[in-house]
Amino acid sequence: MENDNLNKLWENQSNDISNYTPKDIITKAKKQRNGQYINITIMSATVIILIVYAFYYAFNQWNTFNLGLLLMISSLTFRIILEFYTVYRKENQLISMDHKSYNTYLKKYYKIRLIINYIITPICILVYIFGFYLLLPYFKEYFSNGFYTYILISGIISLTIVIAIIINSIIKEQRFLKQLYEG
Amino acid sequence: MITEEDFTNIYNSYASKVHRLCLGYASGNNELANEWLQETFIKVWKHANSFKGTSAIDTWIYRIAVNVCLGDLRKSQKNIPMNEEVISNSKADDDNEINEKNIKKMYHCIDQLNEQNRTLILLELENIPQATIANTSGLAHGTLRTRLSRIRKSLLKCIKNGK
Repeated sequence: MENDNLNKLWENQSNDISNYTPKDIITKAKKQRNGQYINITIMSATVIILIVYAFYYAFNQWNTFNLGLLLMISSLTFRIILEFYTVYRKENQLISMDHKSYNTYLKKYYKIRLIINYIITPICILVYIFGFYLLLPYFKEYFSNGFYTYILISGIISLTIVIAIIINSIIKEQRFLKQLYEG
Repeated sequence: MITEEDFTNIYNSYASKVHRLCLGYASGNNELANEWLQETFIKVWKHANSFKGTSAIDTWIYRIAVNVCLGDLRKSQKNIPMNEEVISNSKADDDNEINEKNIKKMYHCIDQLNEQNRTLILLELENIPQATIANTSGLAHGTLRTRLSRIRKSLLKCIKNGK
C-alpha cells in the first residue's frame, strides 16, 4: 500500500456526524455556563452565610452543636470549592495548551488528584463525620427516638454512598494516569 | 464575543475534520466521536473570548479537539466498542470489502501508536498543514516532519502485516 493510499483509505470512511446543529451546541453551551454561574452563586452564598453565622452567632454562644455544624459545613464547602477550582483550571489549560504541554499537565493534574483523593478527601470526610458525631447528642435530646434513628441511618447510608463514589473515581483516575504514562 | 453566525461558519468549516479526528481517537466509535465533537465546539463557543489570535483559529480548534479526546477518562476503558456502521457505511465500490477490512486494520494500527504519534498521524491524515500540526502538537516543524514519515512507514507496515 502506497503512502497516498493511506489518505485515500482514511477518506473512505463515512463521516456520520450527529444531527446537532451549531444552534443546539450554542444552547447547550449557554445551559452549561448558566449551570456554572448557579453553582458559583450557591457556593458563594453558602460561604458568606457560614462566615456570618460563625462571627455573629456561633462564636458568641459557643457549644459543641455549633462546632459540629461548622465542621460539617466547612469541610464540605472546602472540598466542593477545591473540586470546582481544579475542574476550572483544567478546562483553562485544555483550551490554551498545545497537545504536548497538555499531556504533561494532565500527568501533573492526576498526581495532584491522587493527593486530593488519598489525603485531603479522607481528612474532609473524617472532619465531617466528627462534626456529625458532635450533633448526635443534640438530635437525641430534641428529636423523637424514631427520627433520631432515621437521621443516624440515613447519615451512615449517605456517607457510604459518597465514599463508594469517591473510591470509584479514584480507580478511574488512577487507571487513566497509568495510561498517560504508558502512552 | 463571537456572533452565532460566526460560530455557525466555524462549525461548518471544521466539524467534519474534527469528527474524523475524534473517530480515530475513539477507535471508530461514532457515538463517542460525536460526543467529543460536541464537547469541542461547546468549548469553542464558551471560550471564544479567550482566543487571543496568537495562533490561527484552526490551530486553536484542533488543539481543543485533541485535548478533549486525550483528557476523556472513558478512553481508559479497554476495548472501546467499534461502531460497525462506520465501517459498513463506507463509500461503496468494488473493493468495498477490502476497504472495510483495511479501515478496520487502520483503526487497530492507529490504536497501537502512542498518544502523541496518534494525534500527529490523525491530523496528517486530515490533510491539515504541517505548520498547523506543529503548533497544535507543540513540536518543532523539523522534528514533526521526521516523526510523521516514521509513523507513516510503521502504520503502512502494520496495515500490511496486520500487527
